[in-house]
Amino acid sequence: MEFDIDFIAHTNRIADYNPYVKVIGSILLVLSALFINNNYYSIFIIIVSSLLLLALARVSLKDYVKFLTIPFAFTFLTCIFMLFFFPSGAYIWNSGFFGIGITTESLRVSLLTFFRVFACFSALGFMSLTTPITDVMSVLRTFYVPQIFCEIAVLMYNAIFIFLDNITVMRNAQKTRLGYLGGYIDSMKSFGSMFSNLFLISLEKSETLQRTLDSRCYTGELPVYKPDRSKDTYPELVS
Amino acid sequence: MVSLLGKNGAGKSTLFLHFNGIYEPTEGQVLIDSEPVDYSKKGLMKIRQKVGIVFQNPDDQLFAPTVEEDVAFGPLNLGKSQEETQEIVTNALKRVDMSGYERKAPHHLSGGQKKRVAIAGILAMNPEVMVLDEPTSGLDPRGASEILQLLYELNNEGITIIISTHDVDLVPVYSNKVFVISKGNILTSGSTKEVFSDIGLIRKANLRLPRIAHLAEILEKHDGVDFNGDYPLTIGEARQKFNNIL
Repeated sequence: MEFDIDFIAHTNRIADYNPYVKVIGSILLVLSALFINNNYYSIFIIIVSSLLLLALARVSLKDYVKFLTIPFAFTFLTCIFMLFFFPSGAYIWNSGFFGIGITTESLRVSLLTFFRVFACFSALGFMSLTTPITDVMSVLRTFYVPQIFCEIAVLMYNAIFIFLDNITVMRNAQKTRLGYLGGYIDSMKSFGSMFSNLFLISLEKSETLQRTLDSRCYTGELPVYKPDRSKDTYPELVS
Repeated sequence: MVSLLGKNGAGKSTLFLHFNGIYEPTEGQVLIDSEPVDYSKKGLMKIRQKVGIVFQNPDDQLFAPTVEEDVAFGPLNLGKSQEETQEIVTNALKRVDMSGYERKAPHHLSGGQKKRVAIAGILAMNPEVMVLDEPTSGLDPRGASEILQLLYELNNEGITIIISTHDVDLVPVYSNKVFVISKGNILTSGSTKEVFSDIGLIRKANLRLPRIAHLAEILEKHDGVDFNGDYPLTIGEARQKFNNIL
């Protein structure tokens, strides 16, 4: 895999640091960005969480940029859309075509949304890149988040990595037989058949998972394991 | 240690899923310690503690985000306390030589390491019988023989080990009893010596002789070295026989 969130979450400098501080801290950052709703404050949050990630957790800039690419593309497109298609107030630029254009209000709203969303992403990024999923879940559980939610989240999280591996394997299998090469329609066909196959595989996987869980006396509830890591008998961990 | 040999699709995996009540037979019955399996919830709990299955693909089995949580899954389901479970997990991981990997994510481990963790997850339930579906598939030769060595040791410590495999070179080294199955039927069973003496049947089941036995067969047929049809199955046996002949 090119980029592995989970690996970074386990290996960064502050992976073992108190998860409550990290999870609550980043949730507070997210909430404050949502409530305060001010461009300067949002930019401040982006800078703070990026600095924490890069300087304190020592996540490499490359990984961080990769992590932000997808949410960036998503937010950017949304805001472009908002910028042009929701005109209200005085025009700064008018295409003269169905009223499409940039207005003072649409500029203000789209910038505001962009920074707000991005502030939330970087704050959440701080959490997901520094805190292993188990720690996040144990924090959520102490706040009475329903167990079923945590269980589904853990199983899905685990399934994502298996999916990604499967996708890589299937894509390579298609590429060796000249998939994705014959132009747009062909690419779409390759992608579609891969995706439907992925769906079948995931159905099968869920059945297998049920069997493997059952054979270890699964009761319908995933038990929580809380080892006492301060014990002398707790083994020294390999790095 | 009991080995189950059979070609792909012979019914090995299906049979294994009957061993701890994942599948329920439509005909006949499954006996465990000469008692028919009780398919009630309580009965299944007991059976699944007694008979542990290590699945062929460790990715199917390791579902938890960290190694220690995965190993703890069984004992916690059996109602062990956190302290007891911690001790069990520590010992199980030590037993399979994976101590120190407690907080690693399973998908960061190598194939052989995943297999060890999967075995630890079953050991943690303290089973009487451990069933392993192709424990050496997908492993490098060294990883494969290390896993079999581990199983051999566990066997000596009193756990019955049942494996399915295609690795006919390793079977004679470790197995006490061998079954050959095909299309859901047992073709033959017995000691490795007995089973591998019926060469025709072995080949009919899409299997082959161990390499060393095959060499002996060729030496006898083409070079006049006389083994009396009793071919050595392991390197050790071969060494002895060659020494006798020389």
